[in-house]
This record gives sequence, C-alpha cells and structure tokens, in this order.
Amino acid sequence: MITEIGNFLLSISASLSLCIFLSLFLKKTISNEVRFLFCKIASHIITFLIFISFVLLSYAFLTDDFSLRYVANNSNVSLENIYKFSAVWGAHEGSILLWVFVLSIWSSCIVLFSSSIPKVIVSDMLSIMGILLLFFLIFILFSSNPFDRIFPIPINGRDLNPLLQDPGLIIHPPMLYIGYVGTSVPFVFAISILLNENIKLEWISWLRKWVISSWMFLTIGISLGSWWAYHELGWGGWWFWDPVENASFMPWLAITALLHSLIVSEKRGIFISWSILLAILTFSLSLLGTFLVRSGILVSVHAFANDPERGMYILIFLSLIIGLSLGLYFIKSRSLIYEKEYTVSSKEFILLLNNLFLTITTFAILLGTLYPLITSSLNLGKISVGAPYFNFIFSALMLPIVFLMSPAIYSTWKKTNYSKLTKKLLTFLFYSIVITYIFMNFYFKSDIFIVYLAMSLAFFTIISSVAKLLLILKNSNNKKIISNIFSIPSSMLSNLLAHIGIGILIIGITLSNYYSIQKEVAMQQNSQILVKDITIKFVDVKNKISKNYTSQVGVFDAYINNDYFISFFPEKRTYNIQKNIMTEAAINSTLLRDIYVALGENLSNDTWVVRIYYKPYIQLLWYGVLLMILGGLFGIFGRNKLEKKLNNDS
Amino acid sequence: MIRKLSALPILIFLVIVYFLYSGLSKDPTLIPSPLIGKTIPEFTSKTLFDGNTITSKDLLGKSFIINVWGSWCYGCSIEHDYLIDISSKNTIQIYGLNYKDDRSSAIKWLQSKGNPYRRVIFDSSGDIAIDFGVYGAPETFLVNEQGVIIHKHVGPIDQSYYNNVILPNLRK
Repeated sequence: MITEIGNFLLSISASLSLCIFLSLFLKKTISNEVRFLFCKIASHIITFLIFISFVLLSYAFLTDDFSLRYVANNSNVSLENIYKFSAVWGAHEGSILLWVFVLSIWSSCIVLFSSSIPKVIVSDMLSIMGILLLFFLIFILFSSNPFDRIFPIPINGRDLNPLLQDPGLIIHPPMLYIGYVGTSVPFVFAISILLNENIKLEWISWLRKWVISSWMFLTIGISLGSWWAYHELGWGGWWFWDPVENASFMPWLAITALLHSLIVSEKRGIFISWSILLAILTFSLSLLGTFLVRSGILVSVHAFANDPERGMYILIFLSLIIGLSLGLYFIKSRSLIYEKEYTVSSKEFILLLNNLFLTITTFAILLGTLYPLITSSLNLGKISVGAPYFNFIFSALMLPIVFLMSPAIYSTWKKTNYSKLTKKLLTFLFYSIVITYIFMNFYFKSDIFIVYLAMSLAFFTIISSVAKLLLILKNSNNKKIISNIFSIPSSMLSNLLAHIGIGILIIGITLSNYYSIQKEVAMQQNSQILVKDITIKFVDVKNKISKNYTSQVGVFDAYINNDYFISFFPEKRTYNIQKNIMTEAAINSTLLRDIYVALGENLSNDTWVVRIYYKPYIQLLWYGVLLMILGGLFGIFGRNKLEKKLNNDS
Repeated sequence: MIRKLSALPILIFLVIVYFLYSGLSKDPTLIPSPLIGKTIPEFTSKTLFDGNTITSKDLLGKSFIINVWGSWCYGCSIEHDYLIDISSKNTIQIYGLNYKDDRSSAIKWLQSKGNPYRRVIFDSSGDIAIDFGVYGAPETFLVNEQGVIIHKHVGPIDQSYYNNVILPNLRK
C-alpha cells in the first residue's frame, strides 16, 4: 500500500507544480488576485503531500517494511530506532526526497512571509519554485523512487552504512539541505525581478533575511559535517577539500558574497544587477553540488552510488535552469544597472573588493574541484590537485578578505574621512600585532611568519569589532547595559558577532594546524608515551558487544606530572551486517587543547597502532562557528532600522 | 561593454557543462596508466618472508594480479578480506608488493589478518613501485600470462573487482 500511496502523492504534487509553473504564462489572462490565491494554496498543498509521503517512508523504515527496496537496502531490524529514522535520508533516493521536501517548505515559507512584496512578484517566485519542484519530483518518480518494491521480500535489510550511524549525521544532512535548498529563494527572487524588470529597495531588505537564513543553515550544516569528520574518521582532521565538501562550501562562499553585495544594494541602490547575478550563481552552485554528489563523477570519501543515468538527468535539468536564467540575465540585466558615485575609501568600494575576492575564491575552488574532469576530457590523464592546492590558494585569497573586514566596519557610505579612518585602523593594527607578538613569542615560542600574519589579521578583526561594539554602547543614551545591548541595530550586532566569530575561527584553525602534535605509534599494553606534558598509558583492550556491532574498546590512562588525570576509551567497531570497521576516537577537550586518542590496526595480541593527537586551541574553531551562527540568528530575527522606519511611517 | 560582459557567465557556464558532460561517461576510479598494454617492468628483489631473490620473470606463466599494499595503509585493511576471498577461489594467483614498509610489521600484519599472497615482493624503498607508476597504496594490477598489464585499479578493491575485472579477463 505504501508504494501506491507514496507514488500517488508524489504524482499529484508533480501535477500541481506543473500547474503553478504554467500559471506564469496566464499572467495576462487571469487576474493577479486569482493567480496569487491559486499559487498560494497549491504550494501549501504540495508541501503537505510531500510531507505525508516523507512520513510514509519514515513509517516504512520504523516498521521494517523490507518490501520497499530502499528500506531493505538501508535498514535492518537490529538498527536503533533513531537511526532507522535518519536512514530515511541515508542514501540517494531518500535524500532527494528530503531535497524536494525542504524545497516545498521554502516555497510555503515564501507564501507565509511575503506580505511586503507585491503579489505579482510572489506569484512569479512561486511559479519558478514550481518548475524546480516539478523537475525534482519527476526525477524521484522515474529514476530515484524510494517507494519501489523489491521481490522476493528479504527477511532482513542490508543495514544503514555504519559511517552514517552517528548522532552528528542525523542532523547534518537536513541542516545542509535547508541551507543548500534555501539558496533557491534568492534565485527565484532574482528571476522574478528579471521577468518584471522592476525592483524596489525595500524588497532587497526582505530578501536579505532569506539570504541570511540560508547562509546560517549552510554554516550549521558544513560545520556539523566537519565536527563529524573530526570525531568519526579517526584521522584528527576536520576538513579534507573533498569534492563533496567543496560542493557545499562553494555555495557558502557565493552566498556570503551575495550577503555583502545586498547590503550595498539595499543602502545605496547600486550593485543590483551584480546581486541578481550572484543569486543565480549561488543557486547554480547548489545544483552543481547536487550533481557532483549524486552523479559520482568525482572520487570522494562520501562513497555514494555512481549512476551516470541519474547524473545525466540532473545535468540536463541543471543546464536548462541555469542556461535559461543566464540567458534571461543577459537580455534583461541592463535595466537594473544604476550608477551612483562613490570613492575608493567608501564602504561601497571595500564591499566591492570583498565580493571580488569571494568570487575569485569560489572559482578557484570550482576549478580545483573540477580539475580531474577537465584534464581527463582533454586527455591529459586524470589528475587531482588535492589539499596543497586548495590550502595555498584559499589562504592566499582569504588573507585580503580578512584584512578588509575592519576597514569595512569603520568606513562610511559614499566617502570616508580618510585620515580619521587610517588613524583608527592603524591603532587597532598596532595593538593586534603587539598581542600576536606577546602571545606567539612567549607562549608558543614560535616564529613562523604565516602564523604571525594570520594571527595579527584575526586579532585585528576581533579588536576592531569589539571596539565598535563598545563604542556603540558608550554612545547610546540609555544607562542600563542590558537594554543598551538590545538597542544596537540588529544588523550591526549580527555583523559584528559574525566577524568576531570569523576571527576566533581563524585563530583556532591556525594554531591547531601549525602546533598540533601527532604521534602514530605501535604501543604494547602497559607501555606509555609522553605527549607534550601528558603521559598516556595503554592499559587494556576490552571487547564490547552492542545491538548491531561488536567493538574493541581501548583503555588509556592519562597522567600529568604522575597525577592521574583522565581515561580514554577509543573504540574500533565492526558492524555485524556490512562488516565495516569504524573508528570512534576518544577526545578530551578543554578550551586550550584537545587530546585525541584513536585505535589503529591490531598488530599482534597486545600491540596496537595508536594515534594520539594533541591539538591546541582547536575548540576555538567550533566557538567561532557558534558566534557566526548567533550572528545569523540576530540577522534573521532582529528588526532592522529600515523596517522600523517603515512600520512607523505606516 | 557591460552588455558583452553579461554574456560572460553564459560562456563560462557552457564550458563547465561540457566538462561535466564528458566526465559522466568516464569511471572516476580509473586512473589511466601509461603501462597498460605493456609488459611489467623488470625488477629483482627479495621476498618478504624468507628473503629469497625474486625477479619479474618468476611471476610469468599464468595470468596473475599484483597488489600493492603496506601495513600502514588503511585502505589495504579494507580490501584485505576481498583478497583473501579471491585467493581462496584458486582461480588466479595474487602477488603482493609490500610498499614502503617495515619487514617485521608487514609480517605481523599478514600473520594477524591472513595471507592471500603466493609470494610477497619486499619493496621498502618503493623503487619497484615507482617503475609500476604507483600513486599510493592500495593499487592492484591485472597481468596476463605474457606479463602484459591489462588493468589497473586504484584504491581498495571490493567484490565487484573479481566479478567485473578478473572473471571477464579469465574467460578470454
């Protein structure tokens, strides 16, 4: 029954999506009100139907309905319930269903939160959403149907990929998808603007909140992925420049650029045509990411099934959507170009530079990711550029971006008082260099130039942002500190928090990269090893049997100056069904450092390869990301000045 | 000027689509090796266990596979069960090329995990691997009875390697 109902619901949704899309061509014949009402109701119905089919699939997983091929391939009776549920999006078919589900939610959100936008524009946006929904629904129905049956019905399923049996991965894909798919909102907005050749500045401040939401969810999704890799892969790394990681990072860079160019568009009414192009670019990169991940044309640690036919479908869809959008942009964008004067010292100019660098970075990463494809189709052999290329190019391009953050905060629109700006910035720069010098020279006793550079820039950003925050607090008339904080314009607060977050993130990345201690040694039981000032003693390996895996648990005791300090229990799990071996690292974290212990190969009875990492300040990385997310929250939920003004006027 | 510039995204996009399209029809794990269709490089080395001399001529006669591995290599432990499975079928001989490894840890590794190899060439310096054009471990070469390399696989092998690579070539 589930198969029939599921297919039925998805088919109805597909037909409704088609109708919403077609209503675009009836613009002249039916009244705006009627069309808006239709698009609105139909969008909600689609969301509801896809939601039900999603619930059905979850139900099939939770009740072990192995008559569905997808369930049989990705679940098992002995799997814990929470993983049975997360297995819904554990493989290709289900994750595409999640994609469409999230897309339909975004389109319903457009309906719900767009009272300030004219109905024509909203209807057009929903129509474009309709064609996106239609393509993905057809894709599901004809080549990735999670409701397909299997015969004979297996007694038990093949189990969920053990890599995915981790709490971090329950929430990582949905967050990432919400961010990924959220880039469709600026995209459909851009297309509607191009179709109508009309834009008002208050629409841009409306769009900015959507862009921030999508940016925030992408940030959460990407960082959860890194967090998972750090804990689960057992190599102590958190970023590998893997094609799948790049696929989510490129839209993040593009949407960050969009976020900044929209500020200029909103405040000054320029860069509009550029913002529109960036919106198209961001969504194109999301689609490209989906294509790269789902077609399997690049080798990745995320071993998803390769299927050229599916890849072909997404490629055709991607070419049509992006090709038509860029064509439309080519024809119509000229009407959206406004020119106003601004000088080299203005905020406009600094944000323009920021956009330039972010776009170049995006393309550099795109080039590196596609490099194996490019060389192989030019018959130069299949060459991957790998981490060295990305690390070099990314840090080289990030330094100027970070350097520009402080000037961007203190500069003003149109023209900045140049001498005042430089005086202020030089003071901050001076302090940040002094702090870096004291910290690095006396604490780390190190003299690596690039570390000094990165640290000074990070401190420069943090000091400037904090100083600005204090300045605003001092200048406001209110005496109470709490209400003072709330009186800061939320856009300013969100901006400062996110930039402080970036600064902290950079400090965490730099220090943990350059000063971590890594030991990969064969250890006998009862032997010990000294890492920094900590003695780690290998005590024992015990066997543990769980519901769907057996594991060997290492017992390590750590001592500081002969005082017992803590025990580590790293695990090596063997999952019963797919016979995969998974590493669970044991990590002890404080703000100052992580100690990371992972079990490697078993060499003989009592000898194991043990990986021990000492990573200073790596926790700052996660705190930095949290601040960025907090900044995003303020950006979404805080009321900005313009809105207040509009409300007061009316 | 601006009109011309706004056509630029379309051009870039078309180029990217071309590369994506051409990539679809290719297998990403297949790194073309200039050695395919050529005889295996000549070498003289010692075996891992007994230290006897082994040369490239000793391998010839029947078709065989050479598996490049090391006890330090994570991917090798993933594919190890499949190698043991293949060797238990007795249809094709497997030679090991122990790559940049330490003799005692390599022996221990095989003793604890089982030994699928007929003989293991000990290549601690990695010189022989360079002649084979090895990118890293694990890699697996399929060689026919004349000593001509007919297939190269990069990364851990799995069940499909036996079914899709070895079997079709044995039947020829």
